[in-house]
Amino acid sequence: MLSGSDTVYVLRYFDVIGRAEGCRLLLTAANASWTEEHPEWPAEKANQPFERLPVLVERSNGNEWILCESLTIERYLARVFGFMPTDLKQAALQEQMADQQADLLSAFFGQLTATGDMKSKQIDEFNTLFDRMVKEHGRILSRSSSKQHLFGDQLSYADISLYAFYKLFIVYLKCYQSDIAEIVKSKLTPEIINLILSIEKEPQLAPHFSKCDTMAAIFTAKDF
Amino acid sequence: METNKNPQYILRYFDRIGVAEGSKLLLSAANVEWTEEHPEWPQEKPNQPFGRMPVLIEKHVDDTDFVICESGNIERYLARAYGFIPSDIRQAAFQEQLRDQASDMFAAFISQLVAKSEEDRRENFAKFDGLLDKLVEVQTKQINANGNNGHLFGDKLSYADIVTYAFYKIIVVGMVKRQANIVDIVKPKLTPQLIKLITAVEANPLLSSYMTRSDSVAAVVTKPTSARL
Repeated sequence: MLSGSDTVYVLRYFDVIGRAEGCRLLLTAANASWTEEHPEWPAEKANQPFERLPVLVERSNGNEWILCESLTIERYLARVFGFMPTDLKQAALQEQMADQQADLLSAFFGQLTATGDMKSKQIDEFNTLFDRMVKEHGRILSRSSSKQHLFGDQLSYADISLYAFYKLFIVYLKCYQSDIAEIVKSKLTPEIINLILSIEKEPQLAPHFSKCDTMAAIFTAKDF
Repeated sequence: METNKNPQYILRYFDRIGVAEGSKLLLSAANVEWTEEHPEWPQEKPNQPFGRMPVLIEKHVDDTDFVICESGNIERYLARAYGFIPSDIRQAAFQEQLRDQASDMFAAFISQLVAKSEEDRRENFAKFDGLLDKLVEVQTKQINANGNNGHLFGDKLSYADIVTYAFYKIIVVGMVKRQANIVDIVKPKLTPQLIKLITAVEANPLLSSYMTRSDSVAAVVTKPTSARL
């Protein structure tokens, strides 16, 4: 672990799952000292380095260091707290998966906001990409020595990133599109559902679920 | 300069200046053997790991291949492998956030380019414009903090220098055919510090072979604006 015991973190974001769930899960799994701030918006916009959220504030020895961009924050926390492999190739495989997931979020909003003849094209593209993502998750899992982890036999950045990704689509994005959770659930394989629920049961993540629901209740016997 | 012949790289992308530009610059600066492939599209789509490009293939003498996708991921991998990203985790993250911001700005540029209605185009343009202004402000502040020496950090060509340059190249050189007025929009926003950085990147000896076959961004951004008659 590369963080001093007197280092505290503040995660600034909106009070929603959104793009910060991976950061929250990493800070929790790391057992870091951290709190969340929900800045008044847009009143506090001008006070953020890029006028956007999330922002990570790291305070140690009286110094404050600030980092922006959700995926950069995730990769940083993963490296600081040892969830990212030190081998460059292994790290690139985990980062690739996270970047692909982020593309899928963009594709979701693309099909949501498309109009006219672009709409059905964007919906098809989103569905194709999502199916491919599930297949990719399955492919990585099939090569893993453990069915409870994507890489190796311990909780990694990839596991946390995957969990946050599915939580985003199954729990959060229905506020934008009411049927997205059912659409996504129908694409999941029993192996992926098992993986999601295994990650959720990781002891390191237990404190997270004192603040929010698990996804266990969302998957019924029919999904297995 | 002798290139390092092991490993060798293949970068698969379209034959254009796009999100693979940063990777091309890094491969060149790393002085490794690399080639570009422009697969027939969309015929070759199913043959790519994720149906998309760019794709980086790292070939080894023992015939093993390491394949990765996602432009930002490819850049970070090459930059770490060849020493353009600092090993200090905080410094690395600070550079990475600049790339992610530039990428967001470019995504907003594309949104306004492809917008169907005039209302959407105006809204998306405002977002692009805002992100660009903020990015220029943050980049310029960092260049100043670094002593305005033609680099964002330190005094050697870094990942941050390269990806910052790459995104300006994509917009003022790559996108000109698709949006003729983009140079007139972007050029006035560039601070002297950024123009100095762009010029310094192009003049860096590590990129001399790259520049023999690439358009100059410095030429575009330093070209005097015609006097109004």
